[in-house]
Formats: sequence, structure tokens, C-alpha cells
Amino acid sequence: MTARIVVTGTGVISSIGAGIEEFENALFAGRSGIGPRTLFTETVPAGAAGEIRNFTPQQWLGNKGLRVLDRSARLVCVASHMALKASGLTQPEGDAGDPNLGLVLGTMFGSVHSITAFDWSGLTDGPTLVNPMEFPNTVINSPAGQAAIKHKLRGVNSTISAGLVSGLYAIHYAMEFLRFGRATALMAGGVEELCEESYLSFAKAGWYSASGRLAPFAPDCDGSVLGEGSALWMLETEEGARKRGVQPLLEVCGFGSAHDAHGINAFNPRGAGAAAAMREALRAAEVAPESIACIVASAGGSRAGDAMENHALKNVFGACLADIPISAPKAAFGECLGATGALLALSAGAALRRQAAPPTAGYQTGEDGLRLSAQPQPFSGEYALVNCFGCDGNNAALVLKRI
Amino acid sequence: MWTPIGAGKETFWSELIKGTCGIAPVASFDTSAFPVHLGAEVKGFEPERYVQRRPPENMGRGSQLAIAAARMAVEDSGIDLSSYDRGSVGVSMGTTSGEPQIVEQYNDVRKSQGLDSIPKELAPKYPCHVIPGNVAIEFDLRGPCLMIPTACAAGNYAIGYGFDLIRTGRTDLMLAGGADPFSRITYMGFARLGAIAPERCQPFDKNRKGMVPGEGAAVIVLEPLEHARARGAKIYAEVLGYGVSCDAHHMTAAHPKGDGAMRAMSMAMSQSGVTIDDIGYISAHGTGTPTNDRVESLAVRRLFGSRADKVPMSSIKSMLGHTMGAASAIEAVACALAIDTGIAPPTINYEEPDPDCDLDYVANQARRIDPRVVLNNAYAFGGNNASLCMARCEN
Repeated sequence: MTARIVVTGTGVISSIGAGIEEFENALFAGRSGIGPRTLFTETVPAGAAGEIRNFTPQQWLGNKGLRVLDRSARLVCVASHMALKASGLTQPEGDAGDPNLGLVLGTMFGSVHSITAFDWSGLTDGPTLVNPMEFPNTVINSPAGQAAIKHKLRGVNSTISAGLVSGLYAIHYAMEFLRFGRATALMAGGVEELCEESYLSFAKAGWYSASGRLAPFAPDCDGSVLGEGSALWMLETEEGARKRGVQPLLEVCGFGSAHDAHGINAFNPRGAGAAAAMREALRAAEVAPESIACIVASAGGSRAGDAMENHALKNVFGACLADIPISAPKAAFGECLGATGALLALSAGAALRRQAAPPTAGYQTGEDGLRLSAQPQPFSGEYALVNCFGCDGNNAALVLKRI
Repeated sequence: MWTPIGAGKETFWSELIKGTCGIAPVASFDTSAFPVHLGAEVKGFEPERYVQRRPPENMGRGSQLAIAAARMAVEDSGIDLSSYDRGSVGVSMGTTSGEPQIVEQYNDVRKSQGLDSIPKELAPKYPCHVIPGNVAIEFDLRGPCLMIPTACAAGNYAIGYGFDLIRTGRTDLMLAGGADPFSRITYMGFARLGAIAPERCQPFDKNRKGMVPGEGAAVIVLEPLEHARARGAKIYAEVLGYGVSCDAHHMTAAHPKGDGAMRAMSMAMSQSGVTIDDIGYISAHGTGTPTNDRVESLAVRRLFGSRADKVPMSSIKSMLGHTMGAASAIEAVACALAIDTGIAPPTINYEEPDPDCDLDYVANQARRIDPRVVLNNAYAFGGNNASLCMARCEN
């Protein structure tokens, strides 16, 4: 039942880079992708965002069939193109596609922009004049379905929504499906596009940083900055990868999740769910807290959220926390909502391979008792922990192992 | 459960086997600009009766319906939630559109007063994971909590994943199901595709003219068999397994040969350790559109061969309309009750056989069939297919 699950390919597009090499290099150089937003400035005055500038999906996908895809679908199609290529599982031309190859995609706001635009068109032009080609984009699983058509993914095709932790939930869902033998290879991760609706949601709720700076664990942090992107891992059982003769990049060995049932828009200050998720992930991976060599934090620049994570970390790790390098990469790519979990997981994977915690862009102080740094922090160890906590009560954590 | 033919499993089931139709002219918005006018709305829903921990207006109708269904399921199961470790109780829900009425309100305000006037409380009610989140908060459940928004097959995905979480030992109890509120957006989309039936929903009939959008919610309580037995629970059915697949063919149209549908059914049976000879009833996806019903019939025929003639397959969407992400959860309840009572609900409005749909559709009258194992089919936009296998629980 508990087959080992390994990563055999990566696909990523974000404000700090496209492709795992560019993404990792930017992350380790401490570069931030957060800057002045250029999208939807006609309707919402300028502000900061981790936007993918000059996104040209044609570069990876060619021109064919792109017109009907919304931004999320394009991001997923690009990331899945990369993950398939990297794992050697791109389906041949003319082939129907492997029925055991699939995609599990996390998202939070999903198709909110497409569904809002579709409804708006009905309101302003009349319901009989809406474009029927745009209706399929209104369903939340549309990006996953479009990627399946584009890349001939005939196996499991699931979309998972658990708010800001969707990406990690999707990775775990894929792990379970592989263990149950319902697929042989699954891409798993998340997607989120930057759009007016999610932006306004954050801005009006008062969660958006006025300074335009996402400053994890900083005493002067003043909120979140939205980003966008898609990140996917190709996951397989270790045995499956070995049979294909591929060298795995990483092992994904433990997942934990807990809901705080506290409030839909509030962090639980006691961090009970966050601590429970970390403990469960460690237990599932059969790893003691002191064996964790690096922590990739959820910290998204919300004072309440970062304080909750700090509290939960101290609770779970106790004294050994002072020795563990921590990275908070949302400072680089922003709060990418449904894609966040996967982007954090990729950052942890990079940390294990390079044996250094990525810098936390712009990090200045160290008075919170956490080992963060604006420089890479070398370490020597086998395991990394990824945290992902949402302000809606959802908490998830993942343990990765170096191969 | 809350459905267009009534609330609660007793009413639902008695109306269902009577062949009651819940389809009527749409009441929640003006359809005069549309060429069609029928809908399958939930009537008489009073959220304050079920949403108790927080004011119902703090959430959208999808969440309200989900909480109502969850409360009814918990009461019916006889479980005492306070006796559980809350971290071992989870919520797994499915939906097509989540809280689309929030988008409608957003656009209404934007149109009349401009973007600046949109209240700050509105948008955070929208992301679809707030539906299971609101259920978790209402009942103080602290285990895994997720939404699987795989459109019109979502209920099966969510129940299936709830089953997975119990089987791996992660949870001791799951509330699993689906919810979708009535939406002008969904209505507009299907109307524009020409997919809505003008007069009635007639799945598998030669003269079928389409589906009818609906709304509803259903939640079932899943627990390990030995727990249920130990507490002397009424066991409706056992979940045996499920299968999923993707057509990877077209966003809205099914694969013409039913390739994905066949693979989902095959996987459901192989994962469940049963064969076509064990299946005694199929709850069809059966939306009532010309293509869907033809393809589903073809997929069953290709997979079951001559055995298909002996397997009754009905579409309760003939009575309920298409309740979107709630549909396969409501149909899973119908499957469990078919197993429990030995009765197959009918496909109503069935008059003229279609040579392309040559199966036994339990036409117009419920029938005593006493199935041991049943299959619940669900298909969706995005080419998503999911089949759930349930069985009588032998003592």
C-alpha cells in the first residue's frame, strides 16, 4: 500500500522564471518577481503583483488551439508541457494518449475571471449573445480539462480546491491515486492566474500589502501581494520510475492536513491545525523533527498568519528549530493561491538538491527566533518540510527526501 | 439532502419512486430573454433551520445547501460527533460552479454602482473550497477538508475520495457529497449551447431535446464497516470502489465512442473486485441531451455486451433535472436506497425507444430489482468521467 512516490519531472512558470532552471536560479539569487502590475490596470488602479510579464505561451505550445484557452489554462498547458518533456512522457504525435497518465490540479479562485466575464457579457449584451465558446471556460476544472486535450492525458483528471493549500492537497491526492493503482504517472500541483476578481477580493478585505512588499516574518510586514503561476511535478511510484529506467529527482514521503474550523477568514492564533498538519506529515514520513534539514515556510506577509506559523513551528520543533534553516519564498513569487503549495514544494526540492535553503528575498531582521536569511543557507541533510497554511482554516504540510 | 423533488431522504425516495417531477418554470430569475424557461430549483429552503453556528448570510447558497444536507446526514446516521477525535473527521465535497451566485451579485453591483461599490464581504465567499470549509466550521470538523470541483461528475469524485481517506486510515468519518446552487450563468451557458429541453427532460427517449439545469445538495456519512457495525448503525450500502478517466477529446462533448466512460466503469469494477455479471443496476448520468445519452448507452453496451440487456439503467435526471455538481452525490444516495429497498427508480417521460439507446431504462415505473452491486455513472465538462461502485452490505 505505501509504495514510495518519486518526482521524475518538473514544470513551472512564475513571475521569477519559466522552467525549473530559471526558477531555481532566480530563487537562489534572491530575486523577487514582485513589481508594478500591468494586468487589468484599466479597471483597477496600479499596484504590486508577482505577475508573469510578457507571457507568451506560443513559445512552448505553438499557436494552434490557444485562442480558446484562458490565462489559467495557458499556464497549466505550459507547465504540463515542461513536466511531460522533463519526465520523458510527452505523448507521441498521432497517438491516442496513455490512459494511465493524468493530471491533478490545485486551484483556489479557479475560473473566476472567465465566469465573471461570461456573466458580464450576458448582463451587458444579453443572454442570447454570449459566446458559447467561452462557456466551457467557466467551470472550475476547465484548465485541467484543456491541458488533458492539449497533451492527451487520458487518465485521472482531477481538480482540487482547498484554498491556499490546494497545491499540496493535489500532490497528496495524486500520491494516493498512484498507490491505489489508478494511474502510473500523474502530474500534480497547482495553478492560479492574476485577475481583477481575486485581486479585488484581497484588496477589499484589507489583506493586500499597502507597501507592495511581501515581507515574511518581518516586524513591519503589512500584508500579502498576489502572484500567479503554475507548478507541477510528475509523480510516479519508485518502482514505476525504475521500470522506465528514469532517475527520480526526489521522494515525496509524507503529507499532513488539518482544518482549524475556526473561521473562514481568520488564522487560528493557536496554530493547532498548522502544528497538527506538520506532525502528521512527519509521522507519515517516519521522520523526527530534528532530521528535518530545511523548512520552506508558508509565511505570506500577513502578521496573523506569520505569527501563527512561528508559534506552530516552535510548538512542533522546540529547541531544534534554532538549527534549521528556513526559507519563505513567497517573498519572491508572491501569494500564488492555488499554485502556492506546488511552488513552495518545488522550492523545497531545489533546496534539497542544492543542499541550501533558498534566500528569503528582502529579509532583514532575525529577531523572531527563526533562521531566515536574505542569503542562501547551506545545510547537510536528507529531509525538507514544506508548510502551507491558509487564512480559511486549511493547513497542509509535506515532507520531501533527497535522492 | 435538498433536491428539486424535496428534502430529506424519505421524501426524496418516496417522490422518486412515484416518478414525481421537480422541473418547473424558473422562479429565481427572469427567463424572458431566454428561448427556454424550465429549471429544477429547490423550493422552500430555509437556511436558518440548518446553518446554526454563524449567520447564513455570511455564506453563499451552495454552502447553505451543503450544511443543510450535512446536518440531515449526521442526524440520520445517529453518530455522536462529540465522541470523535475531530482531527479524524473530514469533509470532501464536489461542485461544478461552487458559489456562482456570488459572481452574479458582484456583476450586478458592478453594473449598477461600479466596481468601487462591491462590498468587501462578497468576494471571499466565492472560492469553491469555502463550501466544505463552511461545513467543517459548522460541525467543528478538523480533518482533511477539500472541494473537488470536477464539474458534473464531482459528487462521485468527492465520495470516492472520502472513501479513499477512510480506507487509508486517515479519517474515521467522512462527510462526502456535492452541492450546486441554481445559477443564471449556468442557465445562460446551457441555453446558449442549445442544450436545455424546452418542455420536459426525456433521457434516452428518441425525441429527447436536452437537459434541464437544476440545483441541490447531498451529503452521505462514510465510516469503516466495523465502526458502523460496532455502533449498531443502519447501513444503507457499502462503497466498493470507483474509477475515473478523462476523454481528452473535447471540453463539452463526450468522446463519440464512449471511450472514457467505458474506462471509468472498468476501473470502478476492477478496483471493486467485481465484474459485469455482478452489476444489478446502473444509475445513468443520462442528462437528456441527444449525444450524452447515445454515448452512455453505447459505452454500457460495448462494455457489458449482451449482459447489458439484463441490467436496468435509469436516469433520475428525468425528475430532478441536472443538479450539476450535486447530481452524482444525489444519485449515489439513490443507489444506496435502491440497494436498501430493492427498488430501481424510473426514467420518466420515456415514450419512444431510440435505436441508438437500446438498454432497459426502467421506463416510467419504478421496479423491484433487488440489486446486489450497483454502478453510479457521472460525466462532466472537461471530459471527466467517474463511476462509483456500491453494494449491499451482507451480514
